[in-house]
Amino acid sequence: MEAGDISKGKPGFGANKGVSVLDFVLRIVAFVCTLGSAIAMGTTNETLPFFTQFIRFRARFNDLPTFTFFVVANSVASAYFILSLPLSIFHIVKSGAQNSRIVMVILDTVVLALVTAGASASAAIVYLAHKGNTRTNWFSICQQFNSFCERISGSLIGSFGAVVVLIILILLSAVALSRRP
Amino acid sequence: MKSGDSTTINVQESGPISKGKGPVLAAPLPRPGGWKKGAAIFDFVLRLGAVVAALAAAATMGTSDQTLPFFTQFFQFQASYDDLPTFQFFVVAMAIVAGYLVLSLPFSIVCIVRPHAVGPRLLLLVLDTVALTLDTAAGAAAAAIVYLAHNGNPNTNWLAICQQFGDFCQNVSGAVVASFASVVVLVTLVIVSAIALRRV
Repeated sequence: MEAGDISKGKPGFGANKGVSVLDFVLRIVAFVCTLGSAIAMGTTNETLPFFTQFIRFRARFNDLPTFTFFVVANSVASAYFILSLPLSIFHIVKSGAQNSRIVMVILDTVVLALVTAGASASAAIVYLAHKGNTRTNWFSICQQFNSFCERISGSLIGSFGAVVVLIILILLSAVALSRRP
Repeated sequence: MKSGDSTTINVQESGPISKGKGPVLAAPLPRPGGWKKGAAIFDFVLRLGAVVAALAAAATMGTSDQTLPFFTQFFQFQASYDDLPTFQFFVVAMAIVAGYLVLSLPFSIVCIVRPHAVGPRLLLLVLDTVALTLDTAAGAAAAAIVYLAHNGNPNTNWLAICQQFGDFCQNVSGAVVASFASVVVLVTLVIVSAIALRRV
């Protein structure tokens, strides 16, 4: 061990600090996105003023199991983002940490799969609700339930935004892991 | 050299270099691969499995037409994957994922040959993450439609079509299961790449 080694500290991990700060900020953004999506989908409740004999006159998110899964997945993801903030702060402080970054990559990947599954399954159902399908005789419900349709379509945006943010987070963690000072 | 002192030349030690060598060479000496080589081989094998799963999913969905022998006045008597745009997206996305996985096999081999190289490993991790997202999106969207096809939805008056098209439903459900298998393999691939990026 040379005398100069101790005073140098860890010069190669300076850039990792910037990466970790960006990671922290993106995590907060992703928390807001998923929470917004979950709330937007979860508070859907449209009651039509008139009565038709073929269609129910009330639409909520839990009429479709896919939307229930969407709300649950986004709630779990937003809870995960809040709970992973301390780990992110730890990475800002200790930029050379490896094992905890690997744990964060693993958890981020699992949450990415979960959020993507929820968002894309709901996107398939929202597409059906808008367009219907003549071959299977599933007709589009959006013509009756306008504001319900708008709500469910808009709540997808936050979820897909969180997917993009999660990909960037995994990329950032991988870059921070790969630095060889 | 003065007599009485040892005549060793004062060279900086750098790892397991045998004594008696001359001045330190600038070229990097090949280090043993260790556990990283094992991880890279595991990555390669998993990638082959993912190729098979993704191809199986695309092929099963793509060849899933069924024509009913009888005629009913309310339903079409023919079902194919291109009746539903979600299934079209599924076939295209799984084909893209399978193609990507095949093209990433050489990079995986590079990682086996050079276990300590960071560049290919990092590239594989990022591209695997994108492929994972596409794969999960295709699988989950198709799963939502398959769930509807099996169970229908009374609240929106969408009827279950599986009761008429049994074979079609079976093929389509099998394709979705294969795509979720490839999702699991891709998650494992990302985790293996992240672990193999460690500084050890």
